[in-house]
Amino acid sequence: MSFKSIITQKEDQNIFLNRILFSSLLILLLASIIFIRLVFLQIYDSDQYKLRSLNNTIRTQSVPPSRGLIFDRNNNVLAENRPVFQLEMIPEQVQHIEKTLDQLAGLELINIKKIDALKEKIDSSYQFKAITLNTKLSEKQIAIFANNRNIFKGIDIKTRLTRYYPKGEIFSHALGYVGSISSNDYLRFDSAIYTGKEQIGKTSIERDYETSLHGYPGKEKLLVNVRGRVMDRLDTQPFEPGNNLILTLDTRLQEVAYDAMQGKKGAVVGIDPSNGEILIFISTPSYDPNKISQGMSNSEYAAFQNNKNKPLFNRAIAGQYPPGSTIKPMLALGGLEMGYINPDNFIPCEGHYFLPNYSRPFNDWTTHGSVNTKRAIQASCDVYFYELAVKMGIENMSAFLSNFNLGKKTLIDIGSEKKGVIPNRAWKKNNFKSKQNQSWFKGETVIAGIGQGYMLATPLQLAMATVMIANRGSAFQPHLVRAIENIKTGELQYTPTEEINNLEHIKEEHWDIIHQGMIAVVNERRGTAYGIFQPNVPIAGKTGSSQVFSIDKSSNKEVPEELRDHGLFIGFAPLKTPKIALTVIIENGGGGRLAAAPVAEKIMQAILDSEKKNAL
Amino acid sequence: MPFKKQYDSLSSEDLFRKFHIDLPLLTAFLILFSISLIAIYSASNSDINAVIDQSIRIGISLAAMILIAQMSPLDYERIAPWLYSLCFILLGLVLILGETRNGATRWLNIGISFQPSELMKIGMPLMVARYIARESLPPSNTSIALAIMIVILPTYLIYLEPDLGTSVLVAFSGLIVIFLSGIKKRYLVIAFSLFITSLPLIWPMINEFQRKRVLTFLNPEKDPLGAGYHIIQSKIAIGSGGLFGKGWLNGSQGQLDFLPERTTDFIFSILAEEFGLVGIAIIICVYLFIVGRGILIAINSQDLFSRLIAASISLTFFIYVFVNISMTIGLLPVVGVPLPLISRGGTSMVTLMILLGMLMSVGTHKRLVTK
Repeated sequence: MSFKSIITQKEDQNIFLNRILFSSLLILLLASIIFIRLVFLQIYDSDQYKLRSLNNTIRTQSVPPSRGLIFDRNNNVLAENRPVFQLEMIPEQVQHIEKTLDQLAGLELINIKKIDALKEKIDSSYQFKAITLNTKLSEKQIAIFANNRNIFKGIDIKTRLTRYYPKGEIFSHALGYVGSISSNDYLRFDSAIYTGKEQIGKTSIERDYETSLHGYPGKEKLLVNVRGRVMDRLDTQPFEPGNNLILTLDTRLQEVAYDAMQGKKGAVVGIDPSNGEILIFISTPSYDPNKISQGMSNSEYAAFQNNKNKPLFNRAIAGQYPPGSTIKPMLALGGLEMGYINPDNFIPCEGHYFLPNYSRPFNDWTTHGSVNTKRAIQASCDVYFYELAVKMGIENMSAFLSNFNLGKKTLIDIGSEKKGVIPNRAWKKNNFKSKQNQSWFKGETVIAGIGQGYMLATPLQLAMATVMIANRGSAFQPHLVRAIENIKTGELQYTPTEEINNLEHIKEEHWDIIHQGMIAVVNERRGTAYGIFQPNVPIAGKTGSSQVFSIDKSSNKEVPEELRDHGLFIGFAPLKTPKIALTVIIENGGGGRLAAAPVAEKIMQAILDSEKKNAL
Repeated sequence: MPFKKQYDSLSSEDLFRKFHIDLPLLTAFLILFSISLIAIYSASNSDINAVIDQSIRIGISLAAMILIAQMSPLDYERIAPWLYSLCFILLGLVLILGETRNGATRWLNIGISFQPSELMKIGMPLMVARYIARESLPPSNTSIALAIMIVILPTYLIYLEPDLGTSVLVAFSGLIVIFLSGIKKRYLVIAFSLFITSLPLIWPMINEFQRKRVLTFLNPEKDPLGAGYHIIQSKIAIGSGGLFGKGWLNGSQGQLDFLPERTTDFIFSILAEEFGLVGIAIIICVYLFIVGRGILIAINSQDLFSRLIAASISLTFFIYVFVNISMTIGLLPVVGVPLPLISRGGTSMVTLMILLGMLMSVGTHKRLVTK
């Protein structure tokens, strides 16, 4: 370049300057474009981008409410929420996942058979999200883990609330149980107030008081990163816990009754005649609601459902049994009221009743000799009631028995109730298909007189009828929930009780006669429950045996269990101001006296004992 | 007090001049480096190691810059053909022996792994400037044709790797020299129209991946979780920063990992999110200051070669800044150009600082030439 002249250098410089000037202007133009674009992004459209940035990072998550508690009438807890301990792993914090899983299995903290499934789950999940290794740790497992915690980095024990029933099997048919929400549940309840994480009532009170027990979910605003990991909790709106329930049930009586029912199939229902409060509600065999609520495997649940004793079946409200001889006091009352029988007239019982044109006699279970109304009840004479039935006719019988709320639902505050059957001509016409079977036969009227044939009643219906006998006509709608406790205000909202009385027109002396008969059942020689109870107790009752299968009675001992008679007992105590009206039904127990009356005795004695204590 | 006087003169500007350091440029670099460390700390989710690594790279880059600045522009002119040829051969070797990562063959392993295309960013402007400067301006048509060949051949090799972004930038650093040499405006108009009309012809020749990038750029919302994700998240980060930003370490897009590549290509978005338009404007001003200072050095330098390389370096530097910012704000497709002096990364920063060292050399050696 040293060879270039000064002039060409000048010329070079001019061309260069020219181009540099042009370039500089271009630079300014491009810089301005960027700047204008930035102004648009950061000022003009900024709000829109701020919103999109928030949408990126903020998740709202609902927090399930805690379920309301359930108490008995004396404030004993029947259903509560308990933390369950589960073992969780955050994969990204664990160095050797396979080794760790093997070590955990070695300590029996996880099931060795589940290791492969867990590995698969870990591989397919986010590495920062906790994975449950064991849903329920025992006390021993918790202790083992605590001792080895330092070698298990990234593994921890977490708690979640599940329903717990401290009394287990004793209350299961009254309370029901809870479970995870299924799609069917969303049809019944407002899905907006469910987070999907809580348990929902599946049967009985848990189901039918779901709206009271559930509460309202809270909300959490979470800051999440691009992979959904929660970085921070921004805002929490607490949940509203569900309301508590106070039941009418009495734990002590319930326990006595359950104890007495051990090993038996059947039901016990006890109602306070003064207000319709159900004090005892038992169906056996029962099940452990804790097992179901904490999650059962499909095979376990199937085993439950296929069990021939049907532990999930709520016999107290859905079991329909022929009432048998327990119907006799009611029929006697009808007979007296309608004038078909005179209480003082004795009629002979030779153990058989013959109906014209019927070749075979209707048998009595024994020969009673000469019986009047009271004796007929006391000794449960079939012949007496065969005759009465024929005199009254099926239409009168069914009309009168309907006054005791038989053949229709009691409208108790839990669902799945059955209504039983009080047969008459119309019923038979509607319920049989062939013309031949639709007509009513006189023989059917005869056996209806002892509560057999088509007649069916649930234990709850019989208990309700017993209330009417005890109260001389009146009864209250039976219910299990005494009050709902509003968790916010602490206010108790009591269940209203409505009085029902279809029997106001019955004469007092007629009530007296059947009461005398029922007292004699328990307290007088030849009474069907005599000797079962302590002497001279203020208890009235009536036994019943209903035939499952028509067989020759003499060979009773060899009858297989499932074909044996059902044993029934209805009764009330104490006599003056009855505290309880009770029904006991033992399936295939072999008869009211031997199967049902002893159970009733234990329960009623417990009530009388505590009455005595209170009186002192 | 002659002793005192000598001492004074040594302790002031002369000290920097003696080591061929341009103080205003150095100051601007240090400001950007500081911003780089601040931004990388935030973008790496407060990883102090990332900051330490970047500090080491900055140290090496500064040393390289000072070292290069000690050489005079005459030395650059002398080595230009050798450097260019070496780069050219290496680029050829890359295509034969290079390492392939993510489907692109850009690296050559000779003990350490490096990208010869980076070296060409230095070789290209030097070679074209030396070729143009051998005669007076404006260059003859044959010179222009040959100069264009000098530009196109290595550009094509880089494009084959494939590395569209670098090939465009390397080509630009050579073409800008030809432009500055005073090529007739007529030719520029013809070249530009040729480029536009040949676009439909070029389009099918570009590979699938790069075509997708361009299409995504044109309509990012079409595939918001796939190809358009970078652009959308970057725009959300920048836009949500607003006027004053969300504050350091408070940008949700960056801190919560929504923004990908945020220590490298998209570090500008982090700065925009956390420091807002005000912060960004300051950074852009620093860049413009460097470019302006570089142009001033070019204008003031005494010989044509120095002038051409100084101007080429300054304008190329601006183009780096422009391309990077434009792709983060959706003005240009995502081509993988880092933000000069701020993005995390070693090679590109050393290359850039070598070029800027040359700029300093031009700025501080001119007096030696004139005297």
